[in-house]
Amino acid sequence: MISLRGISLVYPNGVRALDNVTLEIAKGDFVFLVGASGTGKSSLLRLLYREAKSSTGEIVVDGIRVDRLRRSRIPALRRHLGVVFQDFKLLVDKTVWENVAFAMQVTGAHTRDVMRQVPRVLDLVGLSHKSRMYPGELSGGEQQRTAIARALVNNPKILLCDEPTGNLDPANTTEITALLLRINLKGTTVVVATHNQAVVDRMRRRVVRLEDGRIAADEERGYYYLGLRESQVLSG
Amino acid sequence: MKSEATTILDSGKVKFFLAEVLRNFSRNAGMQVTAIGTVAITIVLLGLFLFVRAAIADAGRQLLDEISVSAYLRTDATPQQVTAIAHFLAQDPRVASVQYVPKREGLTELRARTKGTIDTALLTENPLPDKFRIKARVAEDVPAIAASVRRLTGVDNVVYGQKIVQRLLQLGALLRRISIAVIVVFFAVAGIIIANTIRLTVFARRREIAIMQLVGATNTYIRLPFICEGLLDGLIGALVAVALLAVARAALWPRLLEALPWAQLTVVPVDGRVLTTELLGVGAAIGILASWVSVGRHLRT
Repeated sequence: MISLRGISLVYPNGVRALDNVTLEIAKGDFVFLVGASGTGKSSLLRLLYREAKSSTGEIVVDGIRVDRLRRSRIPALRRHLGVVFQDFKLLVDKTVWENVAFAMQVTGAHTRDVMRQVPRVLDLVGLSHKSRMYPGELSGGEQQRTAIARALVNNPKILLCDEPTGNLDPANTTEITALLLRINLKGTTVVVATHNQAVVDRMRRRVVRLEDGRIAADEERGYYYLGLRESQVLSG
Repeated sequence: MKSEATTILDSGKVKFFLAEVLRNFSRNAGMQVTAIGTVAITIVLLGLFLFVRAAIADAGRQLLDEISVSAYLRTDATPQQVTAIAHFLAQDPRVASVQYVPKREGLTELRARTKGTIDTALLTENPLPDKFRIKARVAEDVPAIAASVRRLTGVDNVVYGQKIVQRLLQLGALLRRISIAVIVVFFAVAGIIIANTIRLTVFARRREIAIMQLVGATNTYIRLPFICEGLLDGLIGALVAVALLAVARAALWPRLLEALPWAQLTVVPVDGRVLTTELLGVGAAIGILASWVSVGRHLRT
């Protein structure tokens, strides 16, 4: 579903964000990208939805050669992806319903499809009863659920999350994590960049650890810290 | 459940789109008024320019009707030469009409023109040579026609209102250059003001634009509401200008006729509907162009 081969990313200011990264993510996978701030987690996600362009290497997302993609084809790529951010990026003057519908409307969806699809995703994230509320009237968790609904409304095969729980308290974090898992179980490939140790250690999913722009570890049922024992987690 | 038929319109889509345009348009009313005002001024100037140019062209045409090239023939010109000259002139596409004026007729004309201020009865013989009176289709061609006739055998001298024609041509060219310069400047100003207005809207909506790009809206789709906003600025400005011009023409034209009787102004042959369409088109074009450039700059960065 996602394949990176020998990817390097050097920003115009000379900062090397990623250095020879090779990574395969299968369809239906749930992957955590972990590492300290500035190790290239966000950069890697940005490459996948072509917000940034790799300096070298080959990127394939859902069959699309992203590294060679022409500018005019970027919208087509992004319709295959849902992206969620730490700061939600909701439109404050639109209701929950409008925020979610917006993603369909601006990609030219038929009104009939909007009317059918928006209630479905709102139901999935558990916000049907708050569809007429504005982001300012919602809790952080609810705002993030709205953002996730928006990311899912166009039925993407891949959901990319950049610190989705970074602004949330533990209760909301649990709620969002559970939601992401549910989405994954429905068949969507989910990639989550995070430095929330608790979430990673509780979920026991595939963990890809980045250090200074390189992959330092890639464990199938991993912990936030490399080789951490189960007993340590439980006692810690 | 994303619809593939992105081009198919439905009422929901249209409503959504119009609401977006309207929201943009009303967001910074002050700037919109400035943009519309500048477009209006530009187009009023353009309208005046076209109007004045038409008036000058009309006046020029009238003067031209009075300007003819007189080709005086040598007294010893043979009938063959005269026929050859007449034939030559008849072939020239620049020539509107040719008239042969024998000297007897010339004298009659002279008498009529001087109305007795010169006593032609004193003349013992007709001093006038035979001549051709030639009229050009376009004032610009008069000097060239005169020059080509002068070379023909049998032609003694060629006379035309040289100075008048040249002055007229020079004046026309000068006016055209000045007004084009003024209009170009105003177009640039109007364009820049519209572009800045659109940029404010783009700035106010940068979050929406970012989200649109994120979820895969095409640049064309993102651009469209802004293009519409520019189009509205241009069109409304042009409408205001057309209204002003119409009022000005109705109110000032009769007074102008009264004040400048010597100018021999006739009703300028400008078709109001054509002019209105042209001016509205120009307004729309400025608006679209300025907003296209303005949004384009944002989308590229």
